[in-house]
Amino acid sequence: MVPPQYYLLLSAALFCIGLFGILTRQNALLFLMSVELMLNAANINLVAFSLVWGNITGQTFGLFTMALAAAEVAIGIGIVLVLYRNFDDVDVTNATTMRW
Amino acid sequence: MVLAFDLTPVIVLLPVLSFVIALFAGDYLPWGGAEVGIAATTGALGLSLWVALTLAIGSGPYHQTVYTWASGLDAVNLTFGVLIDPLSSMMLIIVSLVALLIHIFSLGYMNDEGEDGIPRYYAGLGLFSASMLGFVVADNLLMAFMFFELVGLCSYLLIGFWFRESGPSSAAKKAFLVTRFGDYFFLLGVVAVFATFGTAMFVGESSFPALAEAAINTDQVAVNTFGFSPQSWFTILGLLVLGGVIGKSAQFPLHTWLPDAMEGPTPVSALIHAATMVAAGVYLVARMYGFYAISPDALAIIAFVGGFTALFAASMGVVKREIKQVLAYSTISQYGYMMLGLGGGGYVAATFHLMTHAFFKALLFLGAGSVIIAMHHTEDMWEMGGLKRKLPVTYYTFLAGSLALSGIIPFAGFWSKDEVLFEALLHGLDGNTILLAAYAMGLLAVFLTGFYTFRMVFLTFHGKPRTDAARSPHTIRWNMKLPLVVLGILAATVGLLNMTPVAELTGLQIEFIHQWLKHGFAGLTTEHYEVLLHDYAGYGVAELHLSPLLPGAVSLGLALSGALAARHLYSVPEPVEHTAKLGRAKTVLYNNYYQDEYQVWLATGLTRSVSRISNKFDQGIIDGLVNAISSVSLFIGSRMRRIQTGAVNDYAVLLTLGLTALLLAVGLVGGWFV
Repeated sequence: MVPPQYYLLLSAALFCIGLFGILTRQNALLFLMSVELMLNAANINLVAFSLVWGNITGQTFGLFTMALAAAEVAIGIGIVLVLYRNFDDVDVTNATTMRW
Repeated sequence: MVLAFDLTPVIVLLPVLSFVIALFAGDYLPWGGAEVGIAATTGALGLSLWVALTLAIGSGPYHQTVYTWASGLDAVNLTFGVLIDPLSSMMLIIVSLVALLIHIFSLGYMNDEGEDGIPRYYAGLGLFSASMLGFVVADNLLMAFMFFELVGLCSYLLIGFWFRESGPSSAAKKAFLVTRFGDYFFLLGVVAVFATFGTAMFVGESSFPALAEAAINTDQVAVNTFGFSPQSWFTILGLLVLGGVIGKSAQFPLHTWLPDAMEGPTPVSALIHAATMVAAGVYLVARMYGFYAISPDALAIIAFVGGFTALFAASMGVVKREIKQVLAYSTISQYGYMMLGLGGGGYVAATFHLMTHAFFKALLFLGAGSVIIAMHHTEDMWEMGGLKRKLPVTYYTFLAGSLALSGIIPFAGFWSKDEVLFEALLHGLDGNTILLAAYAMGLLAVFLTGFYTFRMVFLTFHGKPRTDAARSPHTIRWNMKLPLVVLGILAATVGLLNMTPVAELTGLQIEFIHQWLKHGFAGLTTEHYEVLLHDYAGYGVAELHLSPLLPGAVSLGLALSGALAARHLYSVPEPVEHTAKLGRAKTVLYNNYYQDEYQVWLATGLTRSVSRISNKFDQGIIDGLVNAISSVSLFIGSRMRRIQTGAVNDYAVLLTLGLTALLLAVGLVGGWFV
């Protein structure tokens, strides 16, 4: 059995990649992808701990999270579409009209 | 319970009812509301007489709280109540009688002249009478204050009856504002009385005069004197309340509203001067005399202001051209006498003068009103003359009023004014120089009173007619003659109720007012007041055994010489303005010693510049401080908002950095890195 540290390292790596994406990219679609990566990093944690403790609840939670992520992507894509309609672009740094 | 006393609130409510009916249904009544006013005041007069009769046959005085409108635990109760004692029952009769006669007179003065707004006029008269009657029966200072204010409001409404012209409406405003200025002090006084004694009752064991007396005697009585000695604090309270009195009773320096109030209809002037508004101030002092009697300083101020006002106003009355102006200044002067009487320890004398003055001044004003009607609304005496033959009823009644006003035996004013002066002299000779000075001024004013009164009579009624209007005057009807005759008889005879010099001479018990005011509640009788005056104010009687005869003869002589001087100068077929010989003095007198000018200067020159500075201070310093603080916040905010770039990446950076910082902090504190 693979020791849990490896799962955690994978999860941490995935999370950091996602975070890096959010901090550096300006394209809204890439943003969405990065968020998905971070979400899945959390998912891996859930499944890994579930495996280690021999408790199925964590894996169930993982399924829930995937469903939630699907819904979130639907909304995210919608936002991206509106963003494009209003700014003729999907660059998130352009959409600053609602600040002070 | 005695039925008459239980009906006392009805005395007040009847004129209120006439006010409501005249206001809402007056247009549909044949006399525009006069009939309900007459009915209401007749009812009030009947009830007042019944009340007085019940008192006279020995049913004790009556005090009843009618309505408590605010109360609470450990708090003062604010109530409306009725206080019937000899003083208030006497005043009830005076007020309702004069109000009734003035309603009748108004039929001739207002209805027959076809004035507009008759219902409004009678509604005002009804409310005026009701307010004054409510004031008279008030059993506590707050209730008195409320009705005092209502009286002021009604005077405003009625003085400004012809509000479409500029004169009456500004006179109404002036009357309201000047009396309000005095009432401001009165209100402070009421609040201070509540704060000091926890009650404002006039009567009873725990009334504020009784508590004040007890507080001076012992330390045991819990009154809050705010760090002053009881005596001086009570003087301050008395003087605060006196502010309202000086405003309403038109004493110097707040008398300036009264001559201007002549702009109102003449019957209203009569009501204001004789029975309601102006009388309210003096009545208030008489009502709480037990409180003033323990304060010699307040008494001295009252006496001095009174004596000064008597002389001051009389001197201005000498040069006036309009008949109503002369009467206005005579009113101020006569109320000065009443104040002199009260301050000089002559409680009965002042009350007596209040009563006689109510009758003869109402008479004089109504007489002047009928002269004005006869003269087609001319008020200038120099355009009259020779009206004696044309208006005999007016002439003889007016003459009776004039004799009473100038104080010529045996008319009413002689007995009362003489007693006022006698009391002041009596207590003044006991080493009280202020009283003596006030007495001297009062005595000098007697001469002037005689002079200006008969100057008015001779210019109006004697000599030859000087204008066409005076040659063919308008006739006057029964409704104006009847009140004149009733008041004329009263002016001639009412003084006989209290003939102190005659009583002294013959030893008869004929001082009925003295005897009347001896009864009543324990703390509200003349005997008690005399004790207070003697023990607290130090008003002794000089060792001279002064008889009232000699001072009476002196003042009678002065009044007669004033009248004779007027006769010599003005009772000629074609009189000339002798006052013009006074030169610049006449100008000063005619302009009322420039009282109005300096008060206007006080308002516009002084007060306005002070308020401008205050405004600057408020806008610049107070508001400036607040604005400075807020501008700091604004500045910080305008800098801080730059964090909010609107770009989502920046927020993500901040989130990440924040999380990292938090983790580091938690880790450092929690010792993760050890």
